[in-house]
Amino acid sequence: MPLNYPLAEQTLDNGLRVVVSSDRAVPIVAVNLWYDVGSRHEPPGLTGFAHLFEHLMFQGSRNVTSGQHFSLLETAGGSLNASTFFDRTNYFESLPSGGLDLALWLEADRMGYLLDALTLENLDNQRDVVKEEKRQSYDNRPYGDSYERLVKLAFPEGHPYAHMTIGSMADLDAASLEDVHQFFRTYYGPNNAVLTIVGDVSVEDAFDAAKRYFGHLPAIPTPPPAPDGTIGPLTEVLRDDVLDDVPSDLVTMMFRLPPDGTPELDAAGLALDVLAAGQSGRLNRRLVRDEQIAQSVSGGALPLIGGVSFGTLTGIASDGVDLQLVEDALLEEVEKLAEGGITADELATVQAQAERDWLEQLSTCAGRADEISHHALLFGDPNRINTRIDQVRAVTVEQVQAAAREWIRATGRAQVTYRQNENGTAEEAGEQE
Amino acid sequence: MSQILTTPPAVGAPRPWKFPESTTTATRAGTPVHVFDRPGQYVATVRVTIAMPLFSEPRELEGVATIMSRTLDEGTELHSANDFAAALERHGAAYGVDVSSDALHVEISVPVSQLAPAVKLLAEAVTRPAFNVADVGRHVTIRLGEINQEKANAGYRAREAFAAHLFDASTRRSRPTAGTPDTIRPLTNVQVAEYYRNNIGPERAHILFAGDATGVDVAAIVDDAFGDWTSSAGPALEAPEPLYLPGDRLVLVDRPGSVQSQLVIGCAGPDRRDPTWGTAAVANHVVGGTITSRVDTVLREEKGYTYGTRSSFTAPRKGGTFTLGGSVRTEVTGAAITDALRILREARDGLTEQEVREAKDSLTLTAPLRYEQADSIVQQVGSNLANGVPVDFADTYMQRIAATTAAEATEAYRQWVGTNGLLVVVVGEAKDVRPQLADLGLGDPIELT
Repeated sequence: MPLNYPLAEQTLDNGLRVVVSSDRAVPIVAVNLWYDVGSRHEPPGLTGFAHLFEHLMFQGSRNVTSGQHFSLLETAGGSLNASTFFDRTNYFESLPSGGLDLALWLEADRMGYLLDALTLENLDNQRDVVKEEKRQSYDNRPYGDSYERLVKLAFPEGHPYAHMTIGSMADLDAASLEDVHQFFRTYYGPNNAVLTIVGDVSVEDAFDAAKRYFGHLPAIPTPPPAPDGTIGPLTEVLRDDVLDDVPSDLVTMMFRLPPDGTPELDAAGLALDVLAAGQSGRLNRRLVRDEQIAQSVSGGALPLIGGVSFGTLTGIASDGVDLQLVEDALLEEVEKLAEGGITADELATVQAQAERDWLEQLSTCAGRADEISHHALLFGDPNRINTRIDQVRAVTVEQVQAAAREWIRATGRAQVTYRQNENGTAEEAGEQE
Repeated sequence: MSQILTTPPAVGAPRPWKFPESTTTATRAGTPVHVFDRPGQYVATVRVTIAMPLFSEPRELEGVATIMSRTLDEGTELHSANDFAAALERHGAAYGVDVSSDALHVEISVPVSQLAPAVKLLAEAVTRPAFNVADVGRHVTIRLGEINQEKANAGYRAREAFAAHLFDASTRRSRPTAGTPDTIRPLTNVQVAEYYRNNIGPERAHILFAGDATGVDVAAIVDDAFGDWTSSAGPALEAPEPLYLPGDRLVLVDRPGSVQSQLVIGCAGPDRRDPTWGTAAVANHVVGGTITSRVDTVLREEKGYTYGTRSSFTAPRKGGTFTLGGSVRTEVTGAAITDALRILREARDGLTEQEVREAKDSLTLTAPLRYEQADSIVQQVGSNLANGVPVDFADTYMQRIAATTAAEATEAYRQWVGTNGLLVVVVGEAKDVRPQLADLGLGDPIELT
């Protein structure tokens, strides 16, 4: 279906790109900032820095005390958070529209003047919190380190996507207050961000407010670009076989994919969906329903902007089933798709699913603001939110097969397996085929 | 034009907002249909909420309701499992089920343009399931594998141990909703089909729609799909009141290799019938409901023990709970529990006017955000109906919160939290954690592996 969300755009004198989409359906407004700094920008020795700022940005700034960012917005009815990814860092809040000025003032104060409040005490405290986040999200759950292991295999050492956003705790420990200040001065400024405002406000009022609160902030020197991550498909099989105290045996494989914003990536993503999405995907039909060798299967593409993306396929073996059978079946289906292609009906199904996902993503002011920031920052064109479905719908069965033939192959993959260790202790097995 | 403001700008008064209202009709089979028309919500959600109190499960077959619910879409009288999934997904629909202690919820999300065929398929799963022997057997196997995953999950282990020690063994909620290996293994399609026949029918159901209904006769589409539904199952029986075990208690679950301790601390709480349901929510917000709450201000922001904790009052139809949960570093487990208990107990001395005002503002003013999306509306209303309160309860609840005074919030909190003791559950590396628990004043822990 054609989408027609209104969009207005201005760039302030200091380089801040502002996008406004007025929507009066509900009396709320969403504010969303994407900074062009993610883990892919981190130089060696500074891994985890982009994500560390996601924490430090809530510890106060020149005119805001520690904790006040949350308390002021919560009292105004705000819902707020931040997230860090390979390609960017994102700060956002939604709140009743009378709080727009407050949200913009808070965002501007930390964009311009975070360092006034960034003390060693704050840094030490948030280092501890990040370590607990890593323990909770990676270390204290079965298979929690699978992505860390996969990206390390799938990309060469030093590649911008070879480490996860959580980074290395050793790097965080070694960081001095000056290192942290320098990182902020390098990446945090109006000309390295997109500000999106969506919701119950007129376009004119939104631009006026953006200028009122951000207009005085000085531009920063153009930040160094992230290293070019352009790289072709994997041409070998790279393995990491882990014996651990896991509940069930699991195999997960990663393929390099084309960069985001290309029809090839859309096609590759749809290929993975035909295999792994929903109940009707080929892998669920065969491995879970028909052969019953797997408890569950999953997978999909993860679009990235820096010269390459990646996608994964994962299967958890049924109890008592040799994991090798699951791996073999996954690879057989991978090759079958590359050699035999997909049907028009399969394509229509995954396109219909992608359309629903997209409409759901845009169904809240916050979700729309996030996608507008995303497409403005990474592609320079927020209107892509209105044409996204048409792009996905335009992909043909031939394009899906061509993308799969080139990128999603048994002979070009990184693979991590977890097998139950009979004597209950973790150990590492071999690292190559 | 641009100046540096050193104090926060004023916040303008919020525009009035009310929880969305529904239009209610009924199908020919008598099932109420509640339609929430939300212009601009191009993806609609349709939810069938069916009263299904889990005490109706035979003790030796607990989990039969879950297996029944999970196999509704695994083949119908008209489609095989694979064909059903293919047909539904071809319309861009996503399908899901949820089993709570009082109800079964079956739901689809679908672009409004595909509503009619998708609702037909939803009705097929709910009213004409096949329960083939192979499909049921497969879901029994999948459930057994899922139990292995749950055993490895610290958060799950903590919640399970909490329920087992908060409730008397005669209460269904002391045991897992989806059953245990002993009760799952014997299940076949015979018991599943029997449970369905005895418990699922149009008299126990509500059908909810939220989405952009412009130019769409939702009631007619739903009636066309669900109007012929017949069943011998009459109205659901009322579940008995739960029985709680009182007193301060400590439970330690050994999870070797843990690098954090997962905590759950809690006690009995109100349910929606109780006059403190709204006022207790305000108190919770102050004490542990947000990152700025009393607990996280100390445990996360001052001490860096945790990535974050959260507390809440939650309740099914009868008998609620208060819980504070989170993970903390192994070495500071004892210190974190000491701080948490102190903060929870000190809150009984009173919540300040400012704290309560800010909590009320946050809870009421965030409501338009929480219910912006179609799906969130039917989830809330479906849950409310399952829990025995009227379709407009969400609005009544907001009004109650807005009217809460500091004295009322404190009183609600004092009525529940710490009055009959607190149950503390720790899941972690027992040999490292055990010595840290000696000084909590909770006695020797009950140890589980």
